[in-house]
Amino acid sequence: MQIYVCVKHVPDSAAYIRIIDNRHIDENITFLLNPYDEHALTEAVRVRDMHPGSEVIAVCLGKEDAEKTIRSAMAMGADRGILILTETGHDSIETALILKTAIEEDGVPGLIFTGKESIDDQGMQTLFRLGALFDFPVVTNVARLEILAEKALADAEFSGGVVKTYEMSLPCVIGAGKGLNTPKYPTVRDVMRSRKSPVKTLLLPDLKIPPAQARMEVVELIPHLQKRQPVEISGTDSDIAQKIVQILKDEAKVI
Amino acid sequence: MTKKYDAIIIGAGVIGSPIAYELSKMGYKTLTVDKLADAGEGSTAGSCAIVRAHYSTADGVAMAYEGFKYWLDWENYLDHVKDEKGLARYMNTGSLLLKSQGHDWKKVKRNYDEIGVKYEELTIEKIKEMVPVADLHEFWPVRRPEDPKFYDEPTKTLEGAIFCPEGGYVNDPTLSAHNIMRAAEAKGATFLFNAEVVDIRTKDGRTAGITLKDGTQFDAPIVVNVGGPHSFKINKMAPGVWEGCNIKTKSLRHEVMYCPSPEGYDYLNDGYHMSDGDVGCYVRPEVGNTFLIGSEDPACDPREWVDPDDFYAGKGGPGKDNVLTDAQWKAQCYRFGKRVPTLPVPNQPKGVVDLYDCSDDWIPVYDKSDLPGFYMAVGTSGNQYKNAPVVGRMMAELIDACEKGLDHDKEPFQYKFKYIDRSTDVGFFSRKRQINRNSSFSVNG
Amino acid sequence: MIKHIGVIIEQDNGIMKAANLGMITMARQKHTILFALVMDGSAGALKEKLSSFGISTIIEIRLAEDFQDNPDVRAKAVAKAVEKFELSALFGLSTAMGKDLLPRIAAILDGSLVMDCFDVDLENNIAGTSRYSGKTLAKIKVRGPVPVFGIRPNAREPVQEQKSAGIIQFEAVSLDSKLLRVVKRGETGKDSKISLTEAEIIISGGRGMKNGENFNLLFECAQKLNAAVGSSRVAVDSGWVPYAMQVGQTGEKVSPKVYIACGISGSIQHFAGMKTSGMVIAINLDETAAIMSNCDYYAKADALKIIPEITKLLETS
Repeated sequence: MQIYVCVKHVPDSAAYIRIIDNRHIDENITFLLNPYDEHALTEAVRVRDMHPGSEVIAVCLGKEDAEKTIRSAMAMGADRGILILTETGHDSIETALILKTAIEEDGVPGLIFTGKESIDDQGMQTLFRLGALFDFPVVTNVARLEILAEKALADAEFSGGVVKTYEMSLPCVIGAGKGLNTPKYPTVRDVMRSRKSPVKTLLLPDLKIPPAQARMEVVELIPHLQKRQPVEISGTDSDIAQKIVQILKDEAKVI
Repeated sequence: MTKKYDAIIIGAGVIGSPIAYELSKMGYKTLTVDKLADAGEGSTAGSCAIVRAHYSTADGVAMAYEGFKYWLDWENYLDHVKDEKGLARYMNTGSLLLKSQGHDWKKVKRNYDEIGVKYEELTIEKIKEMVPVADLHEFWPVRRPEDPKFYDEPTKTLEGAIFCPEGGYVNDPTLSAHNIMRAAEAKGATFLFNAEVVDIRTKDGRTAGITLKDGTQFDAPIVVNVGGPHSFKINKMAPGVWEGCNIKTKSLRHEVMYCPSPEGYDYLNDGYHMSDGDVGCYVRPEVGNTFLIGSEDPACDPREWVDPDDFYAGKGGPGKDNVLTDAQWKAQCYRFGKRVPTLPVPNQPKGVVDLYDCSDDWIPVYDKSDLPGFYMAVGTSGNQYKNAPVVGRMMAELIDACEKGLDHDKEPFQYKFKYIDRSTDVGFFSRKRQINRNSSFSVNG
Repeated sequence: MIKHIGVIIEQDNGIMKAANLGMITMARQKHTILFALVMDGSAGALKEKLSSFGISTIIEIRLAEDFQDNPDVRAKAVAKAVEKFELSALFGLSTAMGKDLLPRIAAILDGSLVMDCFDVDLENNIAGTSRYSGKTLAKIKVRGPVPVFGIRPNAREPVQEQKSAGIIQFEAVSLDSKLLRVVKRGETGKDSKISLTEAEIIISGGRGMKNGENFNLLFECAQKLNAAVGSSRVAVDSGWVPYAMQVGQTGEKVSPKVYIACGISGSIQHFAGMKTSGMVIAINLDETAAIMSNCDYYAKADALKIIPEITKLLETS
């Protein structure tokens, strides 16, 4: 079985995000493997090891620097990588089209994994578009996965502790959530071993991606200011509690 | 009216606080000011707080070994003061110095013998027993992972190690500075926070006081610069001081990594502090069963000298600001990953980036200055945390002696250690010294 | 041109979530007529409420009994309704359920989708959302047919506008899904811990909690708030809580929408782990604690008393 894991090269969540020309970020920061994709990779490797003869292929769309993320994926156990080189950003619609074309060009997917979202764009949709293009079922925020002979069982987590178990036909697309596993990080030996794993580089124009009918484009980025000006909440204990609940409701809008 | 003190200490870190403590005990009315909100919140907070004795000079070893005694007897040192935050704990793990080409361990051993440091020499078999996860091949020289030779298979094995059972680390460096502050306050010391010094005032050719950013002035005939990474800026505020130093200080950016311990190995409880010059790293346990991996500054690594204000404000971009870099994360973790082949290395860097107040020869400057009444405990170069209580006492005695007329530049003050039977020539730490060629020119001092 | 806007009403066990009303308010813009899409057979019961918030028509989508809970079938049904009623945009809540439904709809329609919107401008087709873990706000222009907007719950205050909504039945019972089936629905149990890095609200305890048992007060409140519980380093060092709960330089780095610090002094190391939080509320007896001058709201009070009060208030509301 060929197991494809779509991985994304994203800014380190600890990096300072600086906005240039109102629409882009200064990319002179550390980029690394999207954290949710670590769960996807760990699960893909687990499934591969249970199905002899399978291979895990990490697929990534990005600039040349994204090879680092493919190398990280291979150090975590992917057998080989595919880097689709691009110089520009792509929305989820295009990304799904590109990934689909690259996967099809490479082989026959038995399973496709992604992280449930990327921490940069937070679009939460590429996996569903990919599933639709392939006509594969999709489940996101998966916390448990069982691959049976003809089908897969996936537990998806919802808020309030609700879990739904989905049964899917195979092949299917799995959006890995944090609850799925503890990522298995590579040792230096894993890094050494994977240094020689092959990475196939594809050029975007060669893939002849059909034009999309819809498009999502960032027209403005605005820094989220963090200037805190402390305001006192006073009164009796029960006054304070009431005011906090009020703030959570009306201002923070979280309840 | 301007408040008057006998002495003002600039910097409430782990070195400044004990100077205030000791001066207060000697009867000086002290004020300690810090631009941050609490004691030990500056570069002290970023310290690995390692307590070890191996230094490249006998004086370095002596001072560190003297320091052990304070840490081992912490409550007593604090005169049993109560700190509402609790007390910092000395984690006496023992300290392993691997014999390697990365350290002049023979010199260290000679220094240990001279000072009387307790130690034993360990065979490879014994180390393996103590640190079962270690691969004791020789990986020398230290390289970066970008270098293809980084991955060469080792052929030789290390010789052994020197084990110092009294070594270890302090679990919470910020808290340790806070403890000393409380002890100092109990002796009458005053601490003022969120107070940034912008000027050192003089009168008739000697120190007169300080001015804060908000315009507040405090007068004192004695001012001590313990500004950590900001020390060079403070020296420049005092007329003639910076120019009068032969040894200068600058702030050097430094990254320390947290990497989880291999599964099944309880490094937190069973591990040792380890100095591993063969791979250019030092490690100690950290909460969460992680390896804290510091760098011994191998020559192949970049050195980034930064402006401390820009750095702490997060300016300057990757490799200059206070965010870990991927390249250095990999360099340090992969290097140590050779020593511990089962060490898992996460993709996202995790750790601390802070500044060393680095001197030209990585040996501190504990001295007076060319401006009467102005003193400095600077250039700690990432290797003085462990000495802090000793430095506090030594600086207080030096200041007292100079104020009573000693010409320390001509006739260097001799500091008699409290615990070990030895004196040290404080002139060793002079600002006027020539660069000390015996230094390791690294965090090892 | 008048636009027909579809608003997907999200219900939980037959009860309409209050957040729907804010979403409807946001969808109510110049030249729009609002269609509420209701899939849980309760259109009649909701008629009055939806009418009073400006819904003109309620489309009651009827699904086959077996597929009520199937997001694929629901998505297909919504896509059919879009076609039938010539809807030009869709609104839905960016909740856990929405995250499982809206992308499926957008994928079927092959149209745009912006999740977690705090604002939508239908005239220019621009949605406001956040990117880079909340560090920036982004304005996203959508092009193409029938964009879908996932709306951040409570992003807009509900405002009434009286309409008189009619109900149209829309049969979608013939739809099924060969690929995906829901086989079980359950609860993970009481101790379903929300992950610190994902929680919208984190209640964190420090030295002021005094012991490990007192953390139960935080857990009880967190359960009501759907929050995660964190701690400062000292609580871990003292053995009160496990390391996995530690927020800070040596623990987790978090950026929830709200961070409630209980008895935490707010050292630099702690801030390193939570400074990107949206709102910080500090409860501490010590007015001089560093966190009190680096937060959005502070109360000089005992968290051990305040937190149970909050829990009580949430129980009764």
